[in-house]
Amino acid sequence: MWRDGLRLALRLILGLLGAALLTAALSLLARPEIGHSLSLLDRLTSVLHADFGVSRASGSPTALELAHRLPATLELIGLGAVVALLVGIPLGLLIGASRTLRAAVPLIQFAAATPLFCVGLALIWLATEGRWPLGAQGYLPLPPLAGSDLGAEWLRALRAIALPVLTVGLAGAGAVEAALSRALAKALDEPYRRGLRRFGLSQWEIDLHYVVPEVAAGFAAQLGEIALALIAAAAVTEWVFQWPGVAALFVKAMALQDWPVAAVTLFLFAAFKFVAEFAGALAARSLSVAVP
Amino acid sequence: MSVSGTRSMGQSIRFANRTIGLAGLGVMAVLVGLAGAVAPAPPDAAGAAQSLLPPSRDLAFGSDALGRDVLSETLHGLSATAGHATLAAAIVIVVGALGGFFAARLPWHSGLVLRWVARILKSVPALLLGLVFIGISGRSFAALAAGLAIAPAAFARSYDRALTLATSRHAEFARATGVSWTTLVRRDLIYELRNAFLAVAARALAAAAILLATVSFFGFGATPPHRDLGLMIGAAYATARASHDFHAWWTALFPALALVLLIFFARLAAAAEQEP
Repeated sequence: MWRDGLRLALRLILGLLGAALLTAALSLLARPEIGHSLSLLDRLTSVLHADFGVSRASGSPTALELAHRLPATLELIGLGAVVALLVGIPLGLLIGASRTLRAAVPLIQFAAATPLFCVGLALIWLATEGRWPLGAQGYLPLPPLAGSDLGAEWLRALRAIALPVLTVGLAGAGAVEAALSRALAKALDEPYRRGLRRFGLSQWEIDLHYVVPEVAAGFAAQLGEIALALIAAAAVTEWVFQWPGVAALFVKAMALQDWPVAAVTLFLFAAFKFVAEFAGALAARSLSVAVP
Repeated sequence: MSVSGTRSMGQSIRFANRTIGLAGLGVMAVLVGLAGAVAPAPPDAAGAAQSLLPPSRDLAFGSDALGRDVLSETLHGLSATAGHATLAAAIVIVVGALGGFFAARLPWHSGLVLRWVARILKSVPALLLGLVFIGISGRSFAALAAGLAIAPAAFARSYDRALTLATSRHAEFARATGVSWTTLVRRDLIYELRNAFLAVAARALAAAAILLATVSFFGFGATPPHRDLGLMIGAAYATARASHDFHAWWTALFPALALVLLIFFARLAAAAEQEP
């Protein structure tokens, strides 16, 4: 077990090192403008010391700009993940349990072929023309968990952010469904289920003690991909809904050729994905059960 | 229903998926090829009609804010998006799929370094990587940038499959009986092309169409007068947002439908191969 943990930790470190190298290489693109004559190794050393440089557009430290925008992105991804789990888990279980349904999925998932910016625009149009009591105006910080008139404040905030969160959640639901249905289909096709029945175990016992942990492990192993899907969804959603998050900052940075900001944003997203992948792989190993 | 009955139904549905997907892509290819002849107006023909006319018998898809025929613009936009997506898919196949296939067979496990690079690049969303490549190369090279942004995922998948093939028992047996390295590689390549080419190409086409449309929607892809579907949808949204008037749904809906159909058919053709 500890060897597995060590191997996974090494994989995480190599991933983060690679992301740091990518960040250093990208921030070098801004070198002529900012008058530095640093080598790639110098930049890598700076990045490893958490010195990500200065924004070309605003002149402030990139880490500060990122820290300012991060809460909005985390709010969007966090609430989007909740929607993704609520929608994706039942769908994944339904599709994973039926071979016929699995084969038919591409045919029935016309909606899944819709690019996310089209989904966001469709929601804005429906909310505007249908006079839904939901705002499409963008970000509103969630209120604190204590205080007077708490219910009304939360309702107002949730109404304001419902459409962006729903957009991210629907994209994440696709990733959750795919990971879960694949894990379930694999577990249901395992020959050990028939073998354990011959040992005298009931179907319920087999499913509870062997299939459920295996499905959970298979799902956890895909956590990195689910995190990546949520980040990609947040990038599109922040732009469509003018959400003042990190991904929107990245797009603006690209428009202004502000390479230090773009580089540090990519590093943040890559690190988020690698950490999710690491946590998922650890969980998958601890959930896996030995089949006799 | 028995297991074999369920299997055969699954196979029938997959066959139907592939047939529908390929037929749909074929129809779209014909539309793209004949866009210049079929479209009632040339690209970017502003003032051909009154602005923001809804769909009618004369203008099947209505007109946009500059009085352009939305049907003609959608056909020309589809042509641009599909053309660039096909070019990007070709780059994915060469750099990603073929690159991964050969990297897995490099001596002294040196392909591992390339696999690590691919892992790093695919740790960020392809959309953001595509924007970086466009930022470096310029908007004229958006198709190249899209292909390179999607390629790392295809590279990693192809590398892992090729490694499984190269270290399989049949490969060990073939080497032990004196079959040359080139013969073995050629045999594996034919096997991969026969079994996975359609899925890889169709999946790459779908991913490239999404990425290119999204970067154009953001304003980093196509430039007027060469509008693609993403730019058309982006322009419709910008007009609606500026005027706080979302009633002209047809200016965005028809280009979006054309885009969704292109992606849907490509995914159908791909999924038919990748399902277990």
